[in-house]
Amino acid sequence: MITQVSQPVLEVHDLTVSYDQHPVLWNVDLSLPAGQLIGILGPNGAGKSTLIKSIMGLIQPTSGYIKIFDKPLAEVRSRISYVPQRESVDWNFPASVLDVVVMGTYGKLGLFRRPGKKEVQIAQDALDQVGMMAFSKRQISELSGGQQQRVFIARALAQQADLYLMDEPFAGVDMATETAIFQLLQDMARAGKTVLVVHHDIHSAMNFFEWCIMLNLHLVASGPKDQVMTEELLRKTYGGKLNLLTQVTDLIRKQDFNPLKS
Amino acid sequence: MTFDNNAFLIILTGALIAISCGFLGVFLLLRKMSMTGDAISHAVLPGIVIGFFVSGSQRSLEVIIGAGLLGILSTLMIDALRKRAKVQLDASIGITFTLLFAIGIILINLFAYKVDLDQECVLYGEIAYLPIDLWITPSGINLGPRVTWLAGLNFFLVTGFIYLLFKELSLTSFDEHFSSAIGIPAKGVNLALMSMVSYTTVSSFESVGAILVVALLVVPPATGYLWTKSLIPLLRLTSALGILIAILGYYLAYWIDSSIAGMMVAVAGALFFGSALVKGKWTMGIRGTSKSSPAFDS
Amino acid sequence: MEDFLYFFTFQDPSITWVVLGITLLGIGSAYVGTFSFLDKKALLGDAISHAVLPGICVGFVLAGEKDPRYIVTGAFLSGALATFLSSWLKQHTKLSEDSIIASILSIFFGIGIVALTALQKSGNPEIAGLNSFIFGNAIGIAEADLFLYGGLSLAILIVLTLFLKEFRLMVFDPGFGNAIGFPMKGIRFIFNVLLILAVVIGIQAIGVVLMAALLITPGAAARFWTDRLQPLLLLAAFFSILSGILGTYVSFVVPQMPTGPWVVVFLSLIALISFIFSPKSGIIKRFIARRSYLNKTHRDHLMKALFKAKEVNKGRMTLKEIYGLYPFHKKEIAHSLQLLTRQGLVIQDSQGVQLSSQGTSDAMRIVRLHRLWEVYLNEFMNIAPDHVHESAEQMEHLLTPELEALLEQRLNYPTLDPHQETIPRESHDI
Repeated sequence: MITQVSQPVLEVHDLTVSYDQHPVLWNVDLSLPAGQLIGILGPNGAGKSTLIKSIMGLIQPTSGYIKIFDKPLAEVRSRISYVPQRESVDWNFPASVLDVVVMGTYGKLGLFRRPGKKEVQIAQDALDQVGMMAFSKRQISELSGGQQQRVFIARALAQQADLYLMDEPFAGVDMATETAIFQLLQDMARAGKTVLVVHHDIHSAMNFFEWCIMLNLHLVASGPKDQVMTEELLRKTYGGKLNLLTQVTDLIRKQDFNPLKS
Repeated sequence: MTFDNNAFLIILTGALIAISCGFLGVFLLLRKMSMTGDAISHAVLPGIVIGFFVSGSQRSLEVIIGAGLLGILSTLMIDALRKRAKVQLDASIGITFTLLFAIGIILINLFAYKVDLDQECVLYGEIAYLPIDLWITPSGINLGPRVTWLAGLNFFLVTGFIYLLFKELSLTSFDEHFSSAIGIPAKGVNLALMSMVSYTTVSSFESVGAILVVALLVVPPATGYLWTKSLIPLLRLTSALGILIAILGYYLAYWIDSSIAGMMVAVAGALFFGSALVKGKWTMGIRGTSKSSPAFDS
Repeated sequence: MEDFLYFFTFQDPSITWVVLGITLLGIGSAYVGTFSFLDKKALLGDAISHAVLPGICVGFVLAGEKDPRYIVTGAFLSGALATFLSSWLKQHTKLSEDSIIASILSIFFGIGIVALTALQKSGNPEIAGLNSFIFGNAIGIAEADLFLYGGLSLAILIVLTLFLKEFRLMVFDPGFGNAIGFPMKGIRFIFNVLLILAVVIGIQAIGVVLMAALLITPGAAARFWTDRLQPLLLLAAFFSILSGILGTYVSFVVPQMPTGPWVVVFLSLIALISFIFSPKSGIIKRFIARRSYLNKTHRDHLMKALFKAKEVNKGRMTLKEIYGLYPFHKKEIAHSLQLLTRQGLVIQDSQGVQLSSQGTSDAMRIVRLHRLWEVYLNEFMNIAPDHVHESAEQMEHLLTPELEALLEQRLNYPTLDPHQETIPRESHDI
């Protein structure tokens, strides 16, 4: 059940991504519509994070390509916003909440220029949107998990992008924060932004996403939520890895090199 | 020449070097690359020797260029060992700097006929001793200003570097993935930082010797980190510590009649351990840097 | 040549002593260092080797001369203090490990240098020997000292062997060790003592700055060859001894050269060779494997082309037609055809090239695998028919007979691929 769209905001074409000499995503083909809140679902190790990182250019694909706004990544970076996983940084870094959110404006500033009043204002507006205005001077080492997540999202908002990619933004976050953030994301989608979220919980996924991508080392399904979140497709996604594919992956891993790399 | 003029020049030079090293050292600390900084100060030796050999003088531009290139080379070697040979980080650093330093020593011996570098000098800066000692006595004061000018140039370049690339340096220190994602070249920034460290190291060898340079790169930032939680205050505190170390180092050395550079290290160490005693948590079980903070209701 | 023989037949007793000394020092540091390396605390050894300097000076001052007992004790206490301060700082402040090690290293070393230069100024003639601690002077190891250092080395080796399984636990799973009642804290303490001792005696040969190499590089090099602990330790010790002897040889042949740096150079050379040639992570191995794989795929493609010609009832293909399929690859094609002919898979004659019956069978298998994989991608992974070809082009060379059987079963023996081409099977296969 893979729905393709014409004039997609994001097009992934025959993408195979390898990690550590063996493939972790096989031949993913999908296209996504603009202005929607889209969830990427799948079990651990399904390749969700890998997909996001490939779109962001942090991992080079083994084959295939990705187009965003019908252009390669390098040409449209300023229109894309990225929220990495929370544990990828050391939260003991000496910075205030405002400092971190202002970092979101760095991409547009370019080399050598310093952030000024305009950038600080953008950052403060972003903090307001996530409800963290009161914390702007607080050191990030003093924040709770949910607050840290909100700061990361505020940073993404400060980028003022059209496409937002978020890697597990709800990991370790309490219910109230999750609901509040989801509502924010829905507002953004309604305003025409496209928001792509790697998520781990099927129930909240059912409630909040409009479009779902289901991964399990390969693309199981991609389309409007109601058409895709069926029992059969959920079973294909979460019901264990394809035995054959796993054996083939093991076979490749045993080789001394990755034969899929040309 | 009056006593005060000498004292002022020496303290000024020491302070300028301390601040330059301290500024760079803060970013090394935040990137958890303090040992890399130490390694680079050893690894530049072949570059210095080759530069000396090529130019015939230990105070030439070739030496600085040689050191800069070696700094970049050692960073690339450490990276290659990690990424290609899959050697762990600490071992990569250890293997790289010992090999390059060993090559440096061998080159000194090979070129001994042309390169007048006593191997002991390079390490604890006997090169450095003479100017400093001479500053104290009335003769040889003509050496003073040149080294001070060098320290001033270094200070100017380092401060300019940090000012221009402040947001790139802080972002890549905090969140490398995000910086790559928004198009800031993390690798390039890193190489630039390491080049500045190499240049500062070599430029300061002459004045204060290799030992003190490493100490100034690492210890004042670590001391400052114990006291403050914000980046700009950390930079300010590190420079204040640098000035304090220069002043106290000079006067204590004068009082005990020992080497100024050595005394500066001692002062830096005392300030560091003192701060650790005062600021250290005296309860058991406080871990060092942890990835996530304790969870509580938001 | 004479020098070489003279050296290696140990005609000179002092050479024998030096080599013996280097060997003992080298084994001790390689063993202890490898554990440090596995523990990911390799640079702690570097810090300790710098930190012993103040202790050496104090020992010298107290003894009034270069008495090894005082010096070793002083060095040991200095190193122990540094180790203690490192763990205290790690536990009680939020400083990261690398900045703690770097700080301790530079502060202790700086103070040591101050002490050393002060001693040098005092004009005591014995001082000259102290310099050898900074840069190492294996050849200068006095016979009398050798007994002390050799004895300590032996002690290190014995303790390490006795406590091998405890140290292994310490490195790999201290939590488990605690759980089964081992005194992990005490074991860590003993290990640190051994580390400091190894450093204290190692710097005689190689000096303070380069000591880290003697600890880290042998283990890192040996790691490329084996995963198992005991062979790893033995190999590391072997590399260390070999480098020590070679380094001493160079020092012997070129009188001005200090030994330490050459030992490091040889160690690094061994590490580089290990990285390139070892089977475990070998670059060479990977290169060869990739080349032979590419050659095989090339031969497979040729056979496929011949098979497809057969499918459209063209019995054979002329050389010209084959060259036409892969322009600019004449040499590879000729080479592949040669090999295929030798393997009996292909028959070449004046009219062209055709598959033998074995060749036909093999080629059929490749084509079958290709098309089966395409069916799999298309049906099980929802991949569009126009995207399955590339993946199949690669997988057709890899799939084993077991996987082939699994595929057939899973797909229920399909007859057509997504491009409506027949999946060829021998008549007796189904």
